[in-house]
Amino acid sequence: SVVNQGFNKLWGAENYDLLQTANILPPTRIEPPQITLGNDTLNAANCSGEIFRSTVTKIPESQSLLQKSRLPLGILIHPFKDLTHLSVIQCNVIVRCRACRTYINPFVYFVDSKRWKCNLCYRVNDLPEEFQYDPVSKTYGDPSRRPEIKSSTIEYIAPAEYMLRPPQPAVYLFLLDVSRLAVESGYLHLFSKVLLEELVNLPGDSRMQVGFIAFDSCLHFFSLAEGLSQPHEMMVLDIDDVFLPCPDNLLVNLKDRMELVKDLLNQLPSRYNNSYDNNSALGAALQAAHRMMSATGGRVTVFQASLPNVGPGALTAREDPNQRASAEVNNLKPANDFYKRLALDCSSHQIAVDLFIVNSQYVDIATISGISRFSGGCIYHFPLFKFERPILSEKLTNSLRRYITRKIGFEAVMRIRCTRGMSIHTFHGNFFVRSTDLLSLPNVNPDSGYGMQVSIDENLSDVENVCFQAALLYTSSKGERRIRVHTLCLPVVSTLHDVINSADQQCIIGLLAKMAVDRSIESSLSDAREAFINVAIDILSSYKLSLNLGSTPGGLLAPNCLKLLPLYISALLKNQAFRTGTSTRLDDRVQAMFEMKTKPLPWLIQSIYPDLYPVHNLEEQQVILNMMEEPVHVPPHLQLTSRLIDNNGAYLMDTGDHMMLYICSGVSQVFLKECLGVPNFNMLSDQMYEIPTIENQANQRLISLIDYLNSEKPHRATIQIIKDNSPSRSVFLERLIEDRVENALSYHEFLQHIKAQVK
Amino acid sequence: MATYEEYIQQNEDRDGIRFTWNVWPSSRIEATRLVVPLGCLYQPIKERPDLPPIQYDPVLCTRNNCRAILNPLCQVDYRAKLWVCNFCFQRNPFPPQYAAISEQHQPAELIPMFSTIEYTITRAQCLPPIYLLVVDTCMDEDELGALKNSLQMSLDLMPQNALIGLITFGKMVLVHELGTEGCSKSYVFRGTKDFSAKQVQDMLGIGKVAMMPQAQQQQPNVRSNPQALQHQQPIPPGSRFLQPISKCDMNLTDLIGELQRDPWPVSQGKRYLRSTGTALSIAVGLLECTYANTGARIMLFLGGPCSQGPGQVVNDDLKEPIRSHHDIQKDNAKYIKKAIKHYEALAVRSATNGHSIDIYSCALDQTGLMEMKQCCNSTGGHMVMGDSFNSSLFKQTFQRVFLKYATGDLKMSFNAILEVKCSRELKIQGGIGPCVSLNIKSPLVSDIEIGMGNTVQWKMCTLTPSTTVALFFEVVNQHAAPIPQGGRGCIQFITQYQHSSGQKRIRVTTIARNWADATANIHHISAGFDQETAAVLMARMAVYRAESDESPDVLRWVDRMLIRLCQKFGEYNKDDPNSFRLSENFSLFPQFMYHLRRSQFLQVFNNSPDETSFYRHMLMREDLTQSLIMIQPILYSYSFNGPPEPVLLDTSSIQPDRILLMDTFFQILIFHGETIAQWRSLKYQDMPEYENFRQLLQAPVDDAQEILQTRFPMPRYIDTEQGGSQARFLLSKVNPSQTHNNMYSYGGDAGAPVLTDDVSLQVFMDHLKKLAVSSTA
Ligand SMILES: [Zn+2]
Ligand SMILES: [Zn+2]
Repeated sequence: SVVNQGFNKLWGAENYDLLQTANILPPTRIEPPQITLGNDTLNAANCSGEIFRSTVTKIPESQSLLQKSRLPLGILIHPFKDLTHLSVIQCNVIVRCRACRTYINPFVYFVDSKRWKCNLCYRVNDLPEEFQYDPVSKTYGDPSRRPEIKSSTIEYIAPAEYMLRPPQPAVYLFLLDVSRLAVESGYLHLFSKVLLEELVNLPGDSRMQVGFIAFDSCLHFFSLAEGLSQPHEMMVLDIDDVFLPCPDNLLVNLKDRMELVKDLLNQLPSRYNNSYDNNSALGAALQAAHRMMSATGGRVTVFQASLPNVGPGALTAREDPNQRASAEVNNLKPANDFYKRLALDCSSHQIAVDLFIVNSQYVDIATISGISRFSGGCIYHFPLFKFERPILSEKLTNSLRRYITRKIGFEAVMRIRCTRGMSIHTFHGNFFVRSTDLLSLPNVNPDSGYGMQVSIDENLSDVENVCFQAALLYTSSKGERRIRVHTLCLPVVSTLHDVINSADQQCIIGLLAKMAVDRSIESSLSDAREAFINVAIDILSSYKLSLNLGSTPGGLLAPNCLKLLPLYISALLKNQAFRTGTSTRLDDRVQAMFEMKTKPLPWLIQSIYPDLYPVHNLEEQQVILNMMEEPVHVPPHLQLTSRLIDNNGAYLMDTGDHMMLYICSGVSQVFLKECLGVPNFNMLSDQMYEIPTIENQANQRLISLIDYLNSEKPHRATIQIIKDNSPSRSVFLERLIEDRVENALSYHEFLQHIKAQVK
Repeated sequence: MATYEEYIQQNEDRDGIRFTWNVWPSSRIEATRLVVPLGCLYQPIKERPDLPPIQYDPVLCTRNNCRAILNPLCQVDYRAKLWVCNFCFQRNPFPPQYAAISEQHQPAELIPMFSTIEYTITRAQCLPPIYLLVVDTCMDEDELGALKNSLQMSLDLMPQNALIGLITFGKMVLVHELGTEGCSKSYVFRGTKDFSAKQVQDMLGIGKVAMMPQAQQQQPNVRSNPQALQHQQPIPPGSRFLQPISKCDMNLTDLIGELQRDPWPVSQGKRYLRSTGTALSIAVGLLECTYANTGARIMLFLGGPCSQGPGQVVNDDLKEPIRSHHDIQKDNAKYIKKAIKHYEALAVRSATNGHSIDIYSCALDQTGLMEMKQCCNSTGGHMVMGDSFNSSLFKQTFQRVFLKYATGDLKMSFNAILEVKCSRELKIQGGIGPCVSLNIKSPLVSDIEIGMGNTVQWKMCTLTPSTTVALFFEVVNQHAAPIPQGGRGCIQFITQYQHSSGQKRIRVTTIARNWADATANIHHISAGFDQETAAVLMARMAVYRAESDESPDVLRWVDRMLIRLCQKFGEYNKDDPNSFRLSENFSLFPQFMYHLRRSQFLQVFNNSPDETSFYRHMLMREDLTQSLIMIQPILYSYSFNGPPEPVLLDTSSIQPDRILLMDTFFQILIFHGETIAQWRSLKYQDMPEYENFRQLLQAPVDDAQEILQTRFPMPRYIDTEQGGSQARFLLSKVNPSQTHNNMYSYGGDAGAPVLTDDVSLQVFMDHLKKLAVSSTA
């Protein structure tokens, strides 16, 4: 009934017949769902959905209720996200539960003015006198005035007892592949240029150190000793038994040796032009890096262009190019455990290894990524990289610039605690699990996310709320030991209806994608794909069950909070990571999988299901204010289907790090002239990689929109203008994932397939 | 007729040769009875600015197993245009270009005054010399700084077309690439590994040039790459490591200037970890795979002992001192055998390739010269031993390596082969000198080996005008086959070498000596005895024996030889020592042997093994004059009574009012007698009224300077006085005529007594006479 529908809508519980709702995507951005706790103070204090998300905003009181809902239970966290507002506390005593070491948080219970009860283990603890003191007003009084009680995200400057040793200096070592393919790719030009420009912005204090190793058949060390007029290159040829050619001056204080470092960076791009060395001794270079850094720890940045084919950890090409479209994918598992073992050694010496892969041929990311995955590093991939290709070159420049200048935490550990009765059992992301709830992160960066699966071990019916607390202990680039604490509080509910209607579909997708990656590697890709489909079927079946509708035939019903789940799952099945039937290079697939594991949720969703906007009529669109309080015309999101592409339109697709402006041949000449500065469609170049700035409102509106979309990203997206009759249109069209492509079902066909299975 | 003295001098001047015997016994049996073997000292490239420049190839005897070179001793039939080989008597036609010769129009090689002649082979490729510097960086800043200065200066002394390379080492070994664009570059090797030439070649990528075209086939797109095409041009192997000085002068000067001391920490009580053995091995390997059989010189600068890896002579624990002669004798030197084996193998490889190895060792302690000596001895390289790279001894010596002829060419030749041919009455027993045997078999090779034998050819990887080889001959003519009257024995020395100008040259010396029947004319033979040459030859033989361990008691051998010589050539009545006389040209020989016996060459225990090796090294290469000084130092006396005069090397020469100047070759010592010393300390020399005293003090200093400025290596300069601590250097050399052996003369005014256990020359001679005349000996 209409009344019922209105009521349900009010409670966010209206449902949709997916088969009947062609345009299921909301026109505006999908915000994280609200968590509703007992009162507004608690609601306001709760952790931001941008940092901490749970697959359900209400926790079922028991494991059996959870199972009934068929929803996966887990949390996603983006612990080191760049924040504009962060309370930083310097105090003598950090208040923590004596039993479980939980940090005091907004969700604890104050038994009286002197004692508090832990919300994770329920122990009653004494409150230190100091805690009554409000550092803001400088008065004694109610402890709830404290920032620790007012905010779920807080950072402590740690006192000495949190240090095992004096905080390490910022140490950056760059490992550069200079094999033939590497030199031919030209990446060294960009690397040197960007690093030269950003040297002054590398995070660190006066102790900061840098070093460089190049490698091909052998290792090229660079001594930057005091008194040298130029760097001295030292080549170690014995890669099977790696040693350091000198005891010092390989890592040097950047401030003291700035001129030598600049000299080296100026020479690097052309230095290996004539070496024609087809080998790449990555393993040996990593071993050398480990030796160089083991005393201090730090960050190793590797640029890799070739398959590491000599020395320790040497690999052979495993990919069969003829099998790129087949239904089963082999060689997703590492070929050896060399990189994983070395990563664990690095991790124990507080060294993280990041990979920039600039390959034109197979490099076996499945294997070499081990060095980053287990050391808390990150992996960037620039397939078919060529310096001369504008998008790739700009993408690398943007990524590298962000990478070099972004915040960094060293020698970090992250501990995740949860309320008694629940447990965390499977972790996703790049780290080493040192003990059940402790992740070792030699480096932590603001662009990496993590996921954890959760199970309910005990009945939670006697508690109102449960909490998750993540505490990240790290050394800042300025040499301070700090602890960043995030606490998420969720209410406990007892009905299937409540549970299902609290689902966070994006978070579920984020967690499912991570689980599917593990499944693909441990079992098989088809297994993972089947699991995706089953999840959709199971959840919608469970929902149907919860509605108590009996066996009414007809629609495929989904609640508002899950209405996009099938859409996202069908998109995932067409994603590079999980697709079959479409030729996909093994390295590209593997990298896509690792991104599923580490991308913070909003960016992950955007890469799975890009945002599509019509931009030919921006003047008619809704106006919002950007951070500078300037008006921006933001068009509604369109579903990814050619059905919505008008021959007279222009469309902007934002995949996260890349945007495509798709120009249809019928678009108005006014648009072309004003926005792109060309008189007609034919005059539009096929090789256009930026929007020209032209003095008119239409152009300004388009640029403002693009700037606005870029404003929340780690770095600007690259942009490519694509004409609907150009050969490159396929890169746009293949992202219209609701359409039928090659052997994959269209979204509608997918829904019909699901419906047939839902009981 | 000239005296023998003049004759010997003439021959030495003209041919650079001196024989022990200048008249040769005509039978085998008589030759063996002469005691001192028939042999010579030969300077293959003695400086001869007067030689005519000859730009054609020598004419060879056509007999296959002879191949002697046309020389003034050959009989020539000018009408028939034939010449008769003076070694095999083959009649050879002259080549067509000699058609115009006549008695009035002779080619230079037939003119008697050109018994030594030099051909320049103009059609051969001119090769620049190669210098590979191998530099120890385990030393303090002062030392390294001084060494760097010397090395930078040496770049100006080397020919600009010479190829140069640089290897530095400490705990690691660094092979430096030269002439690289941009920042300097080196290849680093672990100092504890030994590398074969093949490994060095592979690792340094020296073989890669040839592989380029293949690599391009795999990558066809490279064809369009202009850089790749440029790379296809032939580049000499190893050019990254060995560059013409003219190309890399600046680069290398900077590189040397920026060399830093070995950066690896050395904890208290430890030595540097120094990888000399590996560094040298890589140096030898590098040259071996790039410039085999081309003149090249590895110059090793060493600041201490090798303490790790192959060639280790001591470990890095300072508590463990480096081995002494006593340790070696007691078999207590645990590294020595392996180390010697390592360096000997390198010496052989290096010599085989025609590359020489110099060692410039400057340290207060030993550096392992004893273990490394074959590297220098076999290749003709220099061995220089000093205390510090910051001393004028090293600096001056090193500069003198690059001495030049008036033509501007270095007095340094390379990659020589000395071949000896002789008349059929003779056979070749061997050679002793800075060379190795090439093991070239020939009917001329004697069964009896002296020194390095079994060959008619020796390799000398480098040589200077003063380089001198001792060669030994056996007379094989049977007594029953008398040599016709007027027959002469001939020997031809052919030295092919790479002149420092890069030219290939062939120096030929052909000499002849008369035969004499020793049974009838022993006095002819004895008159031709050259006791100086005999002393040096005996010294070389003794040292050679001492170096090869099979004859432990070299002293006894020297004694026995001396006694037998005295028995053979002395005049005496049996069992009457007082009747014993030696003729003048034998009379100094016993004294030489006396000094040889007590010299540092045979008395090793007062020296370190390194010092012994260094002293012996010099004796084995220097010319006759210098060698004699080493055996029996020269002593000059300066007084108010007249000009300086040579005096006996005897304690009696030490007088209070005299200044002595002693030259031992290795040291130049000025010794002030007691009175002189007192006056000097009272500064009489600064008072105008004692100008003559100032002049007296100055005279030996000036004379010393003259020696110091010319000799190689520069001697140690010692200024001392009666009672001075350094006076021991003088006292250890002089004949202890006044010791407790004959204290009866003490108290007289005959001189200061010397306390030593040595027997005096007088006692020695008395014994010698007794044994020589004894009918039972
Ligand atoms: Zn607790
Ligand atoms: Zn002949």
